[in-house]
Amino acid sequence: MATLLQQLINGLVLGGLIALIALGYTMVYGIIQLINFAHGEVFMVGGFASLATYSYVLPDGLKSDWWFALPLMAIGGALVAVILAVIMERFAYRPLRNAPRLAPLITALGVSVILKEAVRLWYPGATAPVPFPRVFVNKTFTFEVFDGSITIGSTAILMIVVSIVGAIILQTYITRSRMGRAMRATAQDPDTARLMGVNPNRTIVLTFVIGAALAGIAGVLYGIQITNVDTEVGFLYGIFAFTAAVLGGVGSIKGAVIGGFAIGLVKTLSGQYLPGGTQYDLVWIFVILIAVLVFRPQGLFGEPERVRA
Amino acid sequence: MTIKDAVRPFARPLVIVGGVLAIIAALLPWATFTLNEGPYPDKATLQFFDAPFAVSGFRLHTLILGVAVLIVAFAPIPVRNRIQRALGWGLLAVSVVNTLFILFGGGGLGAVTAIDGAFAFGGVVGIIAAVAIILAANSGVIEPIPHWNNKVPTLVAYAALVVSFVALLLLVAMMLNAGGQGGVGNPYAGPIFLSLLGFLAGVLGALHGIGLTGWISRLSDDHKWFSVIVLLLCALALPFTEAGTDYWMTTAANIGVYAATAIGLNIVVGLAGLLDLGYVAFLGIGAFVAANFSGAAAAKMGFELPFVVAAIIAAIVAGIFGAIVGSPTLRVRGDYLAIVTLAFGEIFKKSAQNDIGGFTGGANAIPGVPPINWFGQSFDKPLTIGSLELPSGVLYYVLIIVLVALVMVVFANLKNSRIGRAWIAIREDEDAARAMGIKTGQAKILAFLIGATLAGLAGAVFAHKTSTVAYDSFQFIESVTLLAAVILGGMGSIPGAVLGAALLLVLPEKLREFSDYRLILFGLALVLIMRFRPQGLVPDKHRRAELANEGAEGVPIDELNVPDDTPGGAKAEVAR
Amino acid sequence: MTAPVLSATDVSMIFGGLTALKDVNIELHEGQILGLIGPNGAGKTTFFNCLTGLYTPTRGTVKLHGRTLPSDPAAVTVAGVARTFQNIRLFPSMTALENVLVGRHSRMKQGPVASLFHGPAFKKGEAAAKARGLELLDFVGLSGLDDELARNLPYGDQRRLEIARALATDPSVLLLDEPTAGMNPQETEAARQLIFAIRELGIAVVVIEHDTKFIFSLCDHVSVLVQGQLLVEGPPEVVRGDPRVIEAYLGKPPEEVQAEVRQYAEESPAERTQVIETVSERTQVMKPIREEGGQQ
Repeated sequence: MATLLQQLINGLVLGGLIALIALGYTMVYGIIQLINFAHGEVFMVGGFASLATYSYVLPDGLKSDWWFALPLMAIGGALVAVILAVIMERFAYRPLRNAPRLAPLITALGVSVILKEAVRLWYPGATAPVPFPRVFVNKTFTFEVFDGSITIGSTAILMIVVSIVGAIILQTYITRSRMGRAMRATAQDPDTARLMGVNPNRTIVLTFVIGAALAGIAGVLYGIQITNVDTEVGFLYGIFAFTAAVLGGVGSIKGAVIGGFAIGLVKTLSGQYLPGGTQYDLVWIFVILIAVLVFRPQGLFGEPERVRA
Repeated sequence: MTIKDAVRPFARPLVIVGGVLAIIAALLPWATFTLNEGPYPDKATLQFFDAPFAVSGFRLHTLILGVAVLIVAFAPIPVRNRIQRALGWGLLAVSVVNTLFILFGGGGLGAVTAIDGAFAFGGVVGIIAAVAIILAANSGVIEPIPHWNNKVPTLVAYAALVVSFVALLLLVAMMLNAGGQGGVGNPYAGPIFLSLLGFLAGVLGALHGIGLTGWISRLSDDHKWFSVIVLLLCALALPFTEAGTDYWMTTAANIGVYAATAIGLNIVVGLAGLLDLGYVAFLGIGAFVAANFSGAAAAKMGFELPFVVAAIIAAIVAGIFGAIVGSPTLRVRGDYLAIVTLAFGEIFKKSAQNDIGGFTGGANAIPGVPPINWFGQSFDKPLTIGSLELPSGVLYYVLIIVLVALVMVVFANLKNSRIGRAWIAIREDEDAARAMGIKTGQAKILAFLIGATLAGLAGAVFAHKTSTVAYDSFQFIESVTLLAAVILGGMGSIPGAVLGAALLLVLPEKLREFSDYRLILFGLALVLIMRFRPQGLVPDKHRRAELANEGAEGVPIDELNVPDDTPGGAKAEVAR
Repeated sequence: MTAPVLSATDVSMIFGGLTALKDVNIELHEGQILGLIGPNGAGKTTFFNCLTGLYTPTRGTVKLHGRTLPSDPAAVTVAGVARTFQNIRLFPSMTALENVLVGRHSRMKQGPVASLFHGPAFKKGEAAAKARGLELLDFVGLSGLDDELARNLPYGDQRRLEIARALATDPSVLLLDEPTAGMNPQETEAARQLIFAIRELGIAVVVIEHDTKFIFSLCDHVSVLVQGQLLVEGPPEVVRGDPRVIEAYLGKPPEEVQAEVRQYAEESPAERTQVIETVSERTQVMKPIREEGGQQ
C-alpha cells in the first residue's frame, strides 16, 4: 500500500514535469499543426542554461539563497529557451509555412539533432550528465501510512505546484486575453484571422515563446529534482511530453496537463507493477499512446477532425 | 537587383577577369616559391609543387575551371550564363574549402599559399575570381536548359549511355580514392575530397546546363533495360578500379545495405507519403532473425539455415511487423502516424536491449554470426579467380549490388503500376484517392509491408556482414539517417535514395577529422535541404518539374484552386 | 416509369446539434440530369457527401439500382457512383493521364504480385487502361495534354480533368459539385455541352450549381435545397417560377431580416452564428439573381 502511494506521488511529480513540457507541444501543434520535435531539446537547453546561470552569472554569495538563486536560474533558463525558440521559428519553420507537411517535421528533427549536439559539444563537460546544484530548500516530508512510510521532497511539491499553477495561468490567458483570443483565432483559420487584423506571425511567435518559457522552467525544475542534467533527456522527455499532449488531445491545455500526469503515473506504476519493471516502462507508455491514437485519435479532450470535401 | 544592374555592363570583362584570376590562383604557389627561389613551407607535402604545369589535385581543379570559364566566354555557346554560373559556384567551393583548410589546418596543401601557409593568398584570389564569375553570370539572363533530341539511332544512344555510365564509375572510384581513406594516415583526406566534390559539382552543373545530363537521363528512360544492365555491370566493375581495396569494398557494402533499406523506406515515405521514424527497426528485425538462424553460439535456434532461406524468413518476419506497425494507419493520420512509428522503433530498441524472448542477446548482442559461405568460398575472404586476386569483402559487395538492384526493380515496378499510382494518389490527397475507389487502408498497410520486407532482407545481409548484431545499431538516429538519405537524394526517386545513402555514409568516412561534428552537420543539412532544396538532389521526375522553377518557399497547391479569369479563351472550347 | 438508378430516401444528417439535412428525398433516373440548387450552406455538399459515403447519414438510406450503398467512399465508387469536388482535388503532381489512371484503379485487377513482376497480362491491362485514359482525356477535350502535370493545367482544364478522372471509374451516376464555378461564359457553355455528352454515354448526372441560369438550361429535373430541406422539385420551368424559390434566394425584406437577427442575438451563441451566416449568404446569392433578372 505504501509502495503504491509512494509510486502515485512519484508519478504525479514526473507528470507535473511532463505536463509543463507538453503545454508547449500542444500549443504549437494547435496553432500551426507542427510536431515541434525540437521542443524536448528546448527543455534540455533550458536546464543547461539555468545551470550556466548558476555557475557563471550568479554571484557566489547568493548561491545558497534559494529565493534569489532559483528565480534567477528560472529566468535564465526560460530566457535562453525563448530566444532559441524565436530563432527556430523565424529561420527554420516560418519559411516552410506553405511547404508540404513533411518538410517542417523533418526540419524539426534536424533542429533537434543540432541542439542536442551543440550542447554536447560545447557545454563544458556535457558529454556526460552534469551535476546540478540543490538550490531549493532541501527537505523531505515523511508520512507513516498503513504498512510503511512515504516521502515527499520539497522540490517534488514545487514541481507539482508550478505545473498546475502554470497551466491555470496559461488557460486563463488564452481564454481571457486579447492575444489569447488571437491565438485561438489563428489556430482555427489563419487567413480569416489575418483579415480580422490579427498578425498571425506575431501570434505564432508568441505561442512558441510561451511554450519555450514553460519548457525552460521545466528544465530548472528537472535539474533541482533529479540533481543532474544530461543531453539525452531532451529526446526522452520530449517523447513523453508529446505522448501526453496526444493523449490529452492536441490543442487542449487541460488535456496536456491531465495527459502529463497520466503518463507520469503510467511510467512509475508500470515500472513497479508490470512485468519487465522499469526496463519496459517506456514500452507501456507507447502501447498506451498507440491504443489512444487508434481508438480515440483526437485524444481525451481533443475535437474530432472532420473530413473535408 | 541593384548589384545586378551595376554589374551588367561589365559582365563580359568581369567573367574574363574571373577566369584569368582563377588560372593565376592555380599557378600562384609556383610563382611564389619557384620564381622567388624561396624555401618550401615545411608542412607542404604535395609533390609537383615546383612544376608550373604538372599541377594536381585541387590546383588542377582551379586551373580547369578557370580555363573552362575563359573558353565559354569566348566560344559561341547559347547557355553561357548558366554554364558560367555553375563553374563559378564550383570554383567558389574549391577555393573556400582550400582557403579554410590552409587557414585552419596549416599549409599542407600548398598550392594556394603565401609563406608557410599563414595566409591563403591564392585561395583568396580564387574566391575573388569565383565571386566575379558568379556575379557576372547572374547579372545576365539565366538561359533555359536546351532540350536535346533523344530520338537518335539506337547505337548512338547505347554508346552515349555506356560512355556516361563508365564515366560515372570512374568518377565514383576517383571520389572514393580522393585523398585516400582518411583518418590518421592522411590528414588531408577531408579537404582533398571536399575540393574534388566542389569541382565535380561545378562540372556536372555545367554539363547539366548544356542539357547533357537531361539528354542522358531521357536516353536511359528510352532504353531502360540496356541502362539497367550497363549500370549493373559498371557497379560490378568497381572492384577492378582504383577503389578496389578491402576498405572500400567493405564501406561500399555498408552503403549498399543502407541504400537498399533507404529504397524500402522510400516506398513508404516517398511514394505513399507516410512518415516512418522507426524504420530502422525492420532492418534490426531482419538482422536478428537471420542471426538466430545462423548457427552463431548465442543464437536462440540451435540449427543453421542456408543464408537464402534465413534471409527469406527474415524478410517475411520483418514484413509481418511492417503490416502490424502500419495497421494504425487505418485510423491514424499524418503526423500522428509518425509518432506511432517512432514509438514502435523505441519499443523495438527497448525490447532488443532487454533480450526479449532470448532472441536479441540484450547488451551482449549476438556475436559471431558466421560469414556467408557459398560453395566453400567464405564471403569475408579475398576471392581468387585464376591469377586475379580480388580484395576481401568483394563478394559481399557483389551480393549487395545484386540486392540493391533487386530492390530497385521492386521499387520501379511497383511505382509504375496500379498500386504505385494508388500510393502516390494517397500521398497527394487521401480523401480524393478514396473517392476514386482506392482502399486507402489496404494500400497503406501494403506500403509498410513491402518497405519492411525489403529492410528485413537487407538486415539479413547486414547480420552476416557485420558478424555482431547488437540493439544499438538500430537507434532512433539511424532511422533519421535513413530518412535523411531518402530526402537528401529526393523523395520517390531511386537514384536519389542510393546517392543519399552513399553521401551520408561516405562523407563521415572521408571527414574523420570532423567526426565530432558529424551529427550536428547532419542536422544542419536536414534543415538546409528542407529550406533550399526540398525536392532533393535527384528529384523524382514529377517533382522535378513541379519544383524546378520555384523559390525556396514553395507554392501551396491551394493557390491553383483560385478561380482564374483568364484561362485562355481559345483552349476553353471543348474540342467536339 | 423505370426504377430509379439512384434514390435517396429520408436522408438526414445531424452534426452535434446542427441539422444539416432533414429528410431529403431524391430520385435519379437513367439518362437524367438532375440539378441541385440552393443558397450557400443549404446542405448541398453535405448531401453529396452522404451520397458518396464520405458521411454516414444520421437517418435514411441511399440506394443504387435498388441496393443500399455502403458508407465507404471507395466502395461507393466501386459500386458506380463517381464525383468531382467543389474545390478541385486533383493529384497535383501527377500527370493528367496518371490522374485518370488513378480513376481506373478500381476497374483494374493487377494485385501486388503482378505489379511486382510486370508480366504479359499486367502489360496488357496497363496498355488497355492507358488507351481508355487517353480516350477519356480526348472526350473531355484535353487531347495532347496527357503528359502535363495536373497542377500546371489552367483552371478550366483542371475541372475537365476531374470529370475525366471520375468517368474513368465507369460510373452509372456522376455527381458534379459546382462544375462551372469560376468559369467564364465560353467555358461554362463548353461544360454544358460536355455534361450533355456524358448523358449520351448513358450516365445519370447530378449537378450542384449556384448559376441558376446554367442549371435551368441544363437539367431535366431540379431540386431546391434550403436550410437542409427539399423545398421544391420538378422540371426547370416549374421550379423557376415558384414563389418559394424566389423567396429562398432573395430572402425576406431587409427590415424583417434585421428584426430576426436582433431577436436571435439574445439567444444562444451557436444559433446566433447560424442565423448570421444564412443572412450573409442570402445577400451574397441575391446579386447574381438580380443580374440575371436584368438580362431577361
